[in-house]
Amino acid sequence: MRRKACLVLLAFAVFCAALSPLLRWYAFPRLVKVPADRYQTMVLEAAPATLIDYGTMRAEKVPKITIVQTLKGNVEASEKIEKNDGDSSRDVVVWDGLSYVQGPDGKLVSRIPERYIFDAHSQEPVHARGESVDGDPVEREGIEFKWPFLTEKRDYAYFDAQARVTEPIHYKGTQRFRGLDVYYFEQTIPWTEVPLPKTLPVKGITPQSIAGTGTTRWYTTVRKFWVEPVTGAPVYGEEIHREELRGGTLLGDRDKVTAFSGHVKMREDYIEDTVDLVKSQRVLVLLMTSYLPWGLLVLAALLLALALWLEARSRRPGDPAPATDRDPEPQPANA
Amino acid sequence: MRALIAAAIGLAAALALVLTVTAIGAPTGETSPEPLLTTVPEHP
Repeated sequence: MRRKACLVLLAFAVFCAALSPLLRWYAFPRLVKVPADRYQTMVLEAAPATLIDYGTMRAEKVPKITIVQTLKGNVEASEKIEKNDGDSSRDVVVWDGLSYVQGPDGKLVSRIPERYIFDAHSQEPVHARGESVDGDPVEREGIEFKWPFLTEKRDYAYFDAQARVTEPIHYKGTQRFRGLDVYYFEQTIPWTEVPLPKTLPVKGITPQSIAGTGTTRWYTTVRKFWVEPVTGAPVYGEEIHREELRGGTLLGDRDKVTAFSGHVKMREDYIEDTVDLVKSQRVLVLLMTSYLPWGLLVLAALLLALALWLEARSRRPGDPAPATDRDPEPQPANA
Repeated sequence: MRALIAAAIGLAAALALVLTVTAIGAPTGETSPEPLLTTVPEHP
């Protein structure tokens, strides 16, 4: 009986010992991913801000600009890309996004739609038909919106949707943010000429009509992200964003006019919601990368020790010899 | 010999479990019916 128990314990010990690395290095990279059906909204505000009035072409101080950002996972589009990709094991996420900017009166300032396609596990961009920013086809390099799971303390390539360029976003240190250890990243996009948004707030003014006057749009930003490293999710973000219109007959005798200037920050209730979500998701990732692998290793060691102890006890010289199935030796018969 | 068989059973069970779970994977779900927002939501 003890022998059988030893063997069962040994089998469980090997099961746990084998499961530990398999979970960390085989299951984790395949199971932990950004879900294809994720729907997420974010509200950012710049208060106060400077905004151009396209009627007078003059910059005005306004009390607040609000940016509503929606990311919507398009499951049908991701399945289609996976099918066309030929590699059925690849998980692709398609995010249809919209950055909708509205002024203090609630009226449209600009709207920039985009489609971002990426690998659900590594967050590497995937190039497929439909990848775009404001209707223009783009081919992203680097990450956007989210960092990879198990973010490292290093610089990453980050795609800037306004300038349609990829620039490094620098790791600047670890900080404490609302009970979480987060990595702080910062990217500076220097003054760059960028396309005018396809949708402008005044009827009759189109990007083509502005471009026809020789006026160009320029942009610079300092982008700041505080990223929770286990999930790779930003828990807070800020942007010091400036846009100018330069040159052309539209500005009269002026060289340039500020189109937008403001320090954009996440709204407080969205920060709280994001931190709560990231805290819950962080536990699930840690379960696969740390809690279960280490727990299983400890359990394996305990089970093995128990199996060896039982085996040693069954072999102790003082203990009665284990019963055998053999028949007793025949004894000589005394007549 | 019996110990080796027991260890092999444990190893095979771990492999089978992990391969099965990863092969099944997570359900993909459906595209949300929620729209891309053009108004400011009052709360998340």
